[in-house]
Amino acid sequence: MSMGPMDKKTMHAGQIGFYFDQTRCTGCYACVIACRDWHDIRDTKVQWRSVIAHEWGKYPDVGLAYASLSCMHCSQPACRDVCPVSAIRKRDSDGVVLVDRDLCLGGKACGKCREACPYEIPQFGTGDDDRMQKCTFCVDRIDTGEQPVCVLACPMYALDWGPIDELRRKYGTVQHIYGFSLASEAQPSIVLKFQSE
Amino acid sequence: MVHHNGSERTVITSCPHDCGGRCVLKVHVTNGMITRITTDEGKEPQLRACARGRAYRQRVYAPDRLRYPMLRTGSRGDGVFTRISWDEALDRVADALKRTATTYGPESILYVAYSGNTGTFLHNQLSVFRLLSMLGGFTPVWGSASFWGSLFSSEVTYGTVTAGHTSDDILNARFIIMWGWNPAETVQRTTTAWYLAQARERGVRIVSVDPRYTDSAATFAAQWIPIRPATDTAMLVAMAHVMITEQLHDQAFLDRHTVGFDVFQKYVLGETDGIPKTPAWAEHICGVPAQTIAALARDYATVKPAKLLTLGAPGRTAFGEQFHRAAATLAAMTGNIGIYGGEPAGFGLPAVGLQPLAGTGLISRKLTGNLPDGARQRPALHITKIWDALLKGKEGGYAADFKMVYITNSNCVNQFMNTTKAVRALQIPETIVVHEQFMTPTARFADILLPINTHLERYDIIRPWQGGPYYIYMDKAIEPLYESRSDLAICQALARRLGIEGYGDFTEEQWLRMFWQEAENFTDTKPLPDYDTLKREGVHKIPLDAPVIAFAEQRENPEAHPYPTPSGKIEIYSKKLADRNDPLLPPIPMYIEPWEGPHDPRTGKYPLQLISTHSKRRIHSNMHNLPWLRELEPHTVWINPADAAPRGILHGDTVKVFNDRGAILITAKVTERIMPSVVSIDQGAWYDPGPDGVDRGGCVNVLLEDRCSPAGAFCSNSCLVQIEKHYVYGTDG
Repeated sequence: MSMGPMDKKTMHAGQIGFYFDQTRCTGCYACVIACRDWHDIRDTKVQWRSVIAHEWGKYPDVGLAYASLSCMHCSQPACRDVCPVSAIRKRDSDGVVLVDRDLCLGGKACGKCREACPYEIPQFGTGDDDRMQKCTFCVDRIDTGEQPVCVLACPMYALDWGPIDELRRKYGTVQHIYGFSLASEAQPSIVLKFQSE
Repeated sequence: MVHHNGSERTVITSCPHDCGGRCVLKVHVTNGMITRITTDEGKEPQLRACARGRAYRQRVYAPDRLRYPMLRTGSRGDGVFTRISWDEALDRVADALKRTATTYGPESILYVAYSGNTGTFLHNQLSVFRLLSMLGGFTPVWGSASFWGSLFSSEVTYGTVTAGHTSDDILNARFIIMWGWNPAETVQRTTTAWYLAQARERGVRIVSVDPRYTDSAATFAAQWIPIRPATDTAMLVAMAHVMITEQLHDQAFLDRHTVGFDVFQKYVLGETDGIPKTPAWAEHICGVPAQTIAALARDYATVKPAKLLTLGAPGRTAFGEQFHRAAATLAAMTGNIGIYGGEPAGFGLPAVGLQPLAGTGLISRKLTGNLPDGARQRPALHITKIWDALLKGKEGGYAADFKMVYITNSNCVNQFMNTTKAVRALQIPETIVVHEQFMTPTARFADILLPINTHLERYDIIRPWQGGPYYIYMDKAIEPLYESRSDLAICQALARRLGIEGYGDFTEEQWLRMFWQEAENFTDTKPLPDYDTLKREGVHKIPLDAPVIAFAEQRENPEAHPYPTPSGKIEIYSKKLADRNDPLLPPIPMYIEPWEGPHDPRTGKYPLQLISTHSKRRIHSNMHNLPWLRELEPHTVWINPADAAPRGILHGDTVKVFNDRGAILITAKVTERIMPSVVSIDQGAWYDPGPDGVDRGGCVNVLLEDRCSPAGAFCSNSCLVQIEKHYVYGTDG
């Protein structure tokens, strides 16, 4: 069991991904605000990382679980495949999915990636600038040996990251949690821990 | 601590607001501008900040920050002001102080200071406290909107508020009851939630007793026991009944460590009033099935060590102190005192780091020592009596006709009960001065409004006020923005105008050095690092070999180490209380039928019990105005579908919540996570009355009665309301 953040990683052995432990998430939103602050996302309608609540049951037998999710940097990103101007690409070194905003046609003119993404990840903003934006896996940080800001923000150590193969060895291959089934043809680079009854 | 990296500096500081946590903020500054805020990446356990701390940059640069001194030009409460110079503002404040003190006597100056900043050494209400003391005195306020029932009970039962364990001791417990206790949202110490998660992962059974299925219940608890607000004491007393009749209590511990258990036992068994306090008796009162009460009693009495964790909520009720007295009594009956993994269910401060006095009390002594003893000689006014006292003055039996109200570190119009009455009351005084950072509902009532800088614009030292093995040096990240100043700088300038000598024209750092030197006399964990080391380190974490627990010496040898009570024992029966001869504040813990509880006759008209809960996207009313936090969740009233359906209320509807004291409009959250007949609203949303007097802001205190418990607890969970669908206006937090 991880008692804390993983060691800093400077080498990316292929595809990297996230781990999210639903059993620990209290829905505190620290990751959401840490992301917003670090990347200076001022438009409150734009979220690179979001926390979603899922409630079930009838009083008094009720349940509640949260999911903290961002772009899952899929192995086969549907957004990339539909982009008419090839603005979306995967980095060779670690498979991070990035958008070249200079090329993007914008959400109003195009928006094909939003329709293609199974997880409603692409964000477009409400102002004049409606070019696609989303989680960059903090490449500005991980390229200098730092960890993604959301991972370091979590007071519950519910987030982790690293080469997806390593994460699967460490945490398993579950891609379903309460409220969310994330497995898809796009092969999202995420491993989850399910909140049990 | 300041660290340079190219053009960027990073500065270590903390959050000084009134939550139970105390976290590390690492402020990134480039060219005098804050660009980002990150958190602790040092030694574990890390003091990781929550969403509120991480959003602080938006607070510092908020467009609605107060920028310069202002003079009211509209009516009080309208919020219409004109800019004036600092010279004019200070002259006006000094003149008003002098005139009021001379004409009406110093007691007619009411200083409403509260906990906008908590645990800070320098920047808090004491700057004004010192100024007014040196001027000749004033009327202060007393009480706490948070935890007075707990504080009072801990003093009575254990003789001290230092009656808690450090959070890492959670890992030593085999059974944990979170009673009206929701540390995931209110943050009861920075690392508590993380320890609870680890305990659960190790197989420790955790139970939540709460009217709501909270984030803490969902994340940590194996069982949720919903309970009607203000009836917790009945359930605790019934648990005692089960333990006594099934002989599960630790008689040897009670014999050696406590006084008065026999009196309590007679009450529980019904020998004094003919009513045995059985689980069936309690079920009728609190709504928890008798079998559930009995099962919890058996678990708590037999699975050891066990923690009964409480802080404030069940005690914020009509006879809230009884809850805390009963909880401590159960901790004694189960022998969970003075041992690892136990918990005395007292006021939860552990004896580590700086003692409670050191945070503010120490400085109070330093600031007020050898001064005219004005403040302390005058009777203080309870925080629930402010509005009544302003309206009635001497005729109402109060000590003075209050002519000037000075308000700092407090959004009292919003945060103290009965807001509509506050609006009337604040028309009475001749002068109102407010120090603020934003145009809060309280600031709108100022005659002279002075802009205060944020803690990122000044130096301070802070301790975790709920106790914890660390201190944080709050380095200054940027210069004060606009024309804002600290309370201290304002008071220094006022002292010069008022001809007060010796107020102390020291710099912030000079003061802090003096305080830190004094702090050595107020710590349980010596030695303290010297000032320069602390400043360099930023965060000073005290290494602990083991968790710090309460009453270990007493447990070992109570004869040699008596409890700091009059009897030297844990006082289940308090002679001090008996001497008060108040049937509503009895010498043993008792269930007393609360006003505005589930059995109050007024439920005919107002059938729903309203509780005031804490939001995870603001700290009381602080930061309610920040879009980043506001966007996270709408401000809502929680209502069970069983109560919503007959009222035609759907999830997301605007509803009117009302009683005889006022009405608010708010969005309905229809959820199975709250028990039927109970509704909840997060306190702290900003009061925003429409022309009809109905509040569009969703300020819960519009609905609450300004009345405290016999011991002085703030009864914000004793309130009856009705709710109806509202068809005209929209509202959103």
